[in-house]
Amino acid sequence: MVQFANVIVYSYQYLLDPKVAGIISKELPKESVVVFDEAHNIDNVCIEALSVSVRRQTLEGATRNLNRISQEIDRFKATDAGRLRAEYNRLIEGLALRGNLPTTDIWLANPALPDDILKEAVPGNIRRAEHFLHVLRRLVQYLRGRLETENVEKESPVGFLVSINNHAGIDQKTLKFCYDRLHSLMLTLEITDTDEFLHIQTICDFATLIGTYARGFSIIIEPFDERMPHIPDPVLQLCCHDASLAIKPVFDRFQSVVITSGTLSPIDLYPRLLNFHPVVSRSFTMSLTRDCICPMVLTRGSDQLPVSTKFDMRSDPGVVRNYGKLLLELVSVVPDGIVCFFVSYSYMDGIINAWNDHGILKDIMQHKLVFIETQDVVETTLALDNYRRACDCGRGAVFFSVARGKVAEGIDFDRHYGRLVIMFGVPFQYTLSKILLARLEYLRDNFQIKEGDFLTFDALRQAAQCVGRVIRSKADYGMMIFADKRYIFPNSFSITLTSKILNSLIKG
Amino acid sequence: MNNGADKRLNRGAEEDEDDEDDGDGLEAWERTYADERSWESLQEDELGFLRPIDNKAIYHAQYRRRLRSLSSSAAATRIQKGLIRYLYIVIDLSRAAAETDFRPNRMVVVAKHVEAFIREFFDQNPLSQIGLVTIKDGVAHCLTDLGGTPEAHIKALMGKLECSGDSSLQNALDLVHGYLNQIPSYGHREVLILYSALSTCDPGDIMETVQKCKKSKIRCSVIGLAAEMFICKHLCQETGGMYSVALDEAHFKELILEHAPPPPAIAEFAIANLIKMGFPQRAAEGSISICSCHKEAKVGAGYTCPRCKARVCELPTECRICGLTLVSSPHLARSYHHLFPIPPFDEVPLSRPNDPNQKAKRNCFGCQSLLSPGNKPGLSVACPKCQQHFCLDCDIYIHESLHNCPGCESLRNSKSVIANET
Repeated sequence: MVQFANVIVYSYQYLLDPKVAGIISKELPKESVVVFDEAHNIDNVCIEALSVSVRRQTLEGATRNLNRISQEIDRFKATDAGRLRAEYNRLIEGLALRGNLPTTDIWLANPALPDDILKEAVPGNIRRAEHFLHVLRRLVQYLRGRLETENVEKESPVGFLVSINNHAGIDQKTLKFCYDRLHSLMLTLEITDTDEFLHIQTICDFATLIGTYARGFSIIIEPFDERMPHIPDPVLQLCCHDASLAIKPVFDRFQSVVITSGTLSPIDLYPRLLNFHPVVSRSFTMSLTRDCICPMVLTRGSDQLPVSTKFDMRSDPGVVRNYGKLLLELVSVVPDGIVCFFVSYSYMDGIINAWNDHGILKDIMQHKLVFIETQDVVETTLALDNYRRACDCGRGAVFFSVARGKVAEGIDFDRHYGRLVIMFGVPFQYTLSKILLARLEYLRDNFQIKEGDFLTFDALRQAAQCVGRVIRSKADYGMMIFADKRYIFPNSFSITLTSKILNSLIKG
Repeated sequence: MNNGADKRLNRGAEEDEDDEDDGDGLEAWERTYADERSWESLQEDELGFLRPIDNKAIYHAQYRRRLRSLSSSAAATRIQKGLIRYLYIVIDLSRAAAETDFRPNRMVVVAKHVEAFIREFFDQNPLSQIGLVTIKDGVAHCLTDLGGTPEAHIKALMGKLECSGDSSLQNALDLVHGYLNQIPSYGHREVLILYSALSTCDPGDIMETVQKCKKSKIRCSVIGLAAEMFICKHLCQETGGMYSVALDEAHFKELILEHAPPPPAIAEFAIANLIKMGFPQRAAEGSISICSCHKEAKVGAGYTCPRCKARVCELPTECRICGLTLVSSPHLARSYHHLFPIPPFDEVPLSRPNDPNQKAKRNCFGCQSLLSPGNKPGLSVACPKCQQHFCLDCDIYIHESLHNCPGCESLRNSKSVIANET
């Protein structure tokens, strides 16, 4: 179908994630024009496409899969040994897949990118199916051992490879071909329920990525989640730090690639992150016939105390009260729907409880109904639905949501559903996460981007995206409030606010 | 306004009312004095004397803009209008009506302008009737029934000005719908809601009520005093009414008086009907009879219903005994001009001082004042039919009060007279 269509619309993963792109996008001609819309998060998408995380369940599932595969092999040996032998012959001849390699672009369903797959024969130690399974079992055993660690460990891929070689005796080339070998084996064994074999596929993805890339990745092993230190939940993460890896084949293959978004500021950071030289780089300001947005920055509460969601100020009762009073006053003058964004679920829970204790929540509910986003999808959908009904019938409603949640990513609050949006605080990422620290270090070493700058850029990008949920057309109007004292202090990224928002600020 | 800008950056905004943000760089408290700082518009001429403020041109421009917008849709065609209107005015007396953004508070301002509106309404629509409904504590009460005398309504309204509780749009609409369903089909059913609150606490589904009103052909209009609400907009769109939000007191007065002239009739509703009306005679001076509205004996000065011979005190009214609509011919004549409006006058281009073809001094046909006093070229307008020139004051007077062009009326030519009436 892809060959016959003139216009195709699909999500980023179908083009960027090598595992999926190989199946879906391999027929696209070179002359196509590729447009990435709403691409402000494109670096995160690229990174996630190449990251793998392995938990205890994964390893146990992988073990089960391996047992099943070895049963299948025994069955085949008993009934149709010829097939396995034919596969072996093929591998000797260097054809990794059953059938010929396609003569058009080589776009294999391999977790590594096509240029990085060596077009050479699969190494001898995994050509036989049983040997391959032994290799995989040793790998799984080694990973299980690594997961039992008590401390947080961080390693580069090279170091990890060395230690795999020492402990499990698997060299880099073997690891590189894991995915292809598994794929070929599953085809030969005619395994149809591939969903069951996701775990072993994850392990093979992991192995192939480690074997292929020496830089741009790191491996982080955490014995427990930092926020819940009593619950052991070991996880081994292969984190990609370099966003340019996943998008490079797209740039190389297609003639024109356009990256566009409403909140792409600062625009010169993206070429650095994605490692390309833009031929044309333009910013367009939106022309409005009348003042339909009113962005405001609020740094102090009505008692002149500065307000912020900085970590040390979060539990300050003065700040909590000021935020509450702000919301209460606005609720009595703004019609229909109001959306409030908080920086995290835990912060939102804490502050709503505090408001309830002070009685502010009850006063708010006298004017409008209150709906809250939770981590459960069904509950959130119900809350959203009722929020819209309340706005429609004139009762008015307030929606409490989280800046990096599902609602902020996807749901629009246009027209009367969002007449006011308040961003309580600056939505920084969880700065103590090991993955984020590793990524910041990588950016500092390779791109000379300072950690503070990148974090600020990311936070402001997220804030702008949240706030942009409210205006969806020129006929729409709404008010936006950024409530934190840190929005005012100029740093090198004070111009990261969206250009249209900034224009209004200057005018007003 | 550097101070203002600095203050805003450092302090941020505590509250801001959506509709009153004019983005001029004025603080909220400064804006309330913006229109009243008349001392700033004083000018001095060369000798140091104060020059009189010429806001006539501004006023006239404003007036003509309004006229153009009103008549733009009706420019070439004659639109059928509902002359017999049954209008309910719904006044919101919830706690939001005690807000002091209109001085002294919203309720008092609304009452004041409703009084002016009622008088103007009966002036322009003598055959129509008004009823008053209030919303208080979430419940709608009928303050006065449909009636044709302004005094009764105004007295009832001024006596009951207290506000409390929530506001419920659905209850008001239900009440009005119940009353308006009982009126005969030739009357035009209208509701004018003056809404101060920002939300509505309803017992049921308000969308159903809106559909009910739409089916009963009730035209609902809303004037909001707080901010634009979706439900009001939806209601007005569905029923064919007008939704507007008042920015300040003067604007509110303008908006409410816009509802005084009859609106265009809804197409499927405007079937031509024959309506029975009575034209009573004035009773003789000395006659004694029992008045049907006061239920006591009165001497002279009343009207006798032609069908049932009951006495009524004033016109227009509905006879209490037999239900006949009683009017007098001037009332009908006053409604006539809505159907045949005067076309807007054309602006005459300003005369150049040394143009030899221009007649040196022209007088306004209406008031005989000089059209270009001194050396200043004056603005004047001319009627497109009779080509007479009028000054700005006469233009406003003719269009708003007189509804007849003196130039056209004084033309002796019978052809022009017929042309005026077609």
